[in-house]
Amino acid sequence: MSRFSRRDFLITTAGAALASSMAEPALAGLETPKRGGTLIGTWGGFEPQSLFVPPGGGSSPYFTSTKVLERLIRLTVDLKFEPVLAVDIKPSADFKSYTIKLREGVTWHDGNPFTAEDVVFNAMQYWKPISAGVSLDALESAEATDPLTVVLKFKAPVPEFFLKSVLAGKSGLVIPKHIYAGSNIITNPINNAPIGTGPFKVKEWVRGSHVEYLRNEKYWNPGLPYLDRLVIRWWRDPASRAAAFEAGQLDIGTFNPIPMPDIARLASGGKIIAETKGYANSAWVTTIEFNQRRDIFNKREVRQALMQAIDRQFIADTVFFGRARPSLGAVHSSNTIFFTNDVQDYPFDVKKAGKMLDAAGFPVKGGSRFKLSLVSAGWFEENIKIGQYVKQAFEDLDITVDLAVPDRATSLKRIYSDYDYDVAISNNSGGIELIPSTTQYYTTDGIVKGAAFRNATGYSNPKLDEIVAKMTVETDEPKRIVLAKDFDRLATIEAPLLPMVDLEPVTIVRSDVRNHSATADFMGESWAELWLDR
Amino acid sequence: MNRIVLRRLAQVIPLVLAVIVLNFVLIHLAPGSLFDVMTAEQQISDPAMLDQLRHTYGVDQPTWVQLAKYIWSVMRLDLGFSYRQNAPVLNVIMDQLPATVILMLAATSVALLVGVTAGVLASVRVNTIWDNLISLAAVFFFAAPSFWLGIMMTVLFAVKLGWFPVGGMRTIGAGNGAFADALDVMHHLVLPATALGLFYAATYARVMRASMLEVFRLDFVRTARAKGLSPSRVVVAHVMRNALLPIVTLLGLQLGTILGGSVVIEAVFSWPGIGSLLFDSVMSRNFPMVLGVLVLGSLLVAVANATVDLLYLRLDPRIRAR
Repeated sequence: MSRFSRRDFLITTAGAALASSMAEPALAGLETPKRGGTLIGTWGGFEPQSLFVPPGGGSSPYFTSTKVLERLIRLTVDLKFEPVLAVDIKPSADFKSYTIKLREGVTWHDGNPFTAEDVVFNAMQYWKPISAGVSLDALESAEATDPLTVVLKFKAPVPEFFLKSVLAGKSGLVIPKHIYAGSNIITNPINNAPIGTGPFKVKEWVRGSHVEYLRNEKYWNPGLPYLDRLVIRWWRDPASRAAAFEAGQLDIGTFNPIPMPDIARLASGGKIIAETKGYANSAWVTTIEFNQRRDIFNKREVRQALMQAIDRQFIADTVFFGRARPSLGAVHSSNTIFFTNDVQDYPFDVKKAGKMLDAAGFPVKGGSRFKLSLVSAGWFEENIKIGQYVKQAFEDLDITVDLAVPDRATSLKRIYSDYDYDVAISNNSGGIELIPSTTQYYTTDGIVKGAAFRNATGYSNPKLDEIVAKMTVETDEPKRIVLAKDFDRLATIEAPLLPMVDLEPVTIVRSDVRNHSATADFMGESWAELWLDR
Repeated sequence: MNRIVLRRLAQVIPLVLAVIVLNFVLIHLAPGSLFDVMTAEQQISDPAMLDQLRHTYGVDQPTWVQLAKYIWSVMRLDLGFSYRQNAPVLNVIMDQLPATVILMLAATSVALLVGVTAGVLASVRVNTIWDNLISLAAVFFFAAPSFWLGIMMTVLFAVKLGWFPVGGMRTIGAGNGAFADALDVMHHLVLPATALGLFYAATYARVMRASMLEVFRLDFVRTARAKGLSPSRVVVAHVMRNALLPIVTLLGLQLGTILGGSVVIEAVFSWPGIGSLLFDSVMSRNFPMVLGVLVLGSLLVAVANATVDLLYLRLDPRIRAR
């Protein structure tokens, strides 16, 4: 579906000269983009608590803030880095320092120039302490050597793909120093009407309804954005979003905006398209995890047996209406860089699972092998059904299951603060880069009591820690990929936590909306290049 | 009359205090806290950052200190700050209050108009096809889940016929002066107010019918007929007026819930009301926001009760004697 011309260059090889090609609307051939129009967009969730939440705040503020705030670079759908605010990022020979060349002539929405000082402020005051956290642990200093050059210095070698992933990722948004300096970044009132360098300016946020953006007439990329106006509206009910599409009052919805059974019906007319690309850098999975603090689940054979007791194809087909597939290993299958199929698979086999449990010392006694408490996090509706299914699957193995599907806050507390579960069903979305978003579920330093979406199982394996530690400093990309695959193999065979199904979210979009899918993370698209063929 | 108003207002202070303490305790008894939800969403794991946020949100203090501080600030008419919305609680509530009030008043008007008319009609034509049809409709609208009714109305009137917009309160970016704006809001209001109003109307219709039938049997109605009043005058001036008391009671109860909005109807029609705000705040354990809505709500209940008492006096002068 993507009509976006693939500008296949790595930013490392792209010098300032190449970057100037960014100055033109880079849409070779196919169709000439049309200027103007209003796009009404939404996503499969609710209104954000604030238009921009500096530490992250989930998908909804990420969706609203990325139309206004930009990053230094971005990751395209074919997993290449492209310049945005930086035209070049070069590592030193020892990979302990990186020189960032910034784009000239970029201004903030309030007219102030964007300079190296802004990036220094972001690196030391925003990214490291607030948004990126452990990812930038090694960052020692940032220095502006001239108004358009910043040098980042690190304590240890930092792999290039890793650093660029951070800069192109959710935590790499660039905020204006002149507005945030000296204030508490997290509670600054400007977060409800952020000022950035992006293609759209916030015009008005009507709480409970919509946010309206206007075209940034002084955007650094002349001719962009194509739209005059962008409106993000929120419907709390998926069926109402489907009705809005049908009535022509909604143009695009990312991340499963409408009920799964409606997708085929809406897409059959040809006026509406279901697009599955663009979720690789924020790949969602439904996971199952086993609390290692319990003697039973401390045994690897038990975990492996329980994995085999679950028909994951059934979950994909029935719960997700085919919009998911059984996971293989710890890495999402859409991650074409680090995914490997050379890992332990756990095909559905109840008989074998029963035998493994017998062998592990848990035979059926008095009608039950043992009792476990299953917590399925109730933040997605699907998790209710998955919880019920997994309960039945375990009961088929003669395990007594006590299922709870608590609400969001209670789930967070039981799984990640109190570790009050034996087996938990949860979700996560990881980037292409595995450190730390994927690895922190397995490493010992991922155990942080009270911090959600990390190692809540208490699993600790020095061998695995060592592989991840090597990956953290390995600067040779092929060698790093080998390490990543070693990690995947070990994590999968140990199975303290594993994805059960890889989710395949869809974007629902009207067929006259063009160029909506340039990057590997739709939720974070700036939509500067999006245009309407009407 | 003044005594009633004063007595009602005197009840406000203990009421608000009880609302605060009770809900504060309830929220703190629920597992998880705003702090958990916020740090989870923000994926914060750095212990120093966690401590800083604990301090920012004030959750590093003992619970009773938090409660005392909150009561103290409410006494100074300050509903506190919501870190989730990153704005003062009162501002966030006031942003969504007009939409809620418009929707609830419109729905209540629809309910009163439709319900009372249907009830009167059913009682006048008791045990005829009219009566049965109205009873059937009342049962249907009462039993049909309002989200289903809302979606069906959307599909029919907004998608198929295109008469009304699919949700929202205003056409975005229209802005052609106050009159056009009011018309625009009314255009958006029709479906949600009807969907919600018909649900309430069902109750009104049933209550009105029963109440009318009871009054019809009373002696003064026979007297009114005997002295030769026209049937319509008997129904409107004598029976209806006396049958209205239970309706006023219902109305008073319902006015008290106005501030809560309707989560379901707001969700289906993406109406920017307080119901969704309250729901989200409960789910994220955002107690300043929950308490803010409830405190304002309890004030409204007190005012609504006082108003209902005054209305009783007007409708039934016998009450004054007691």
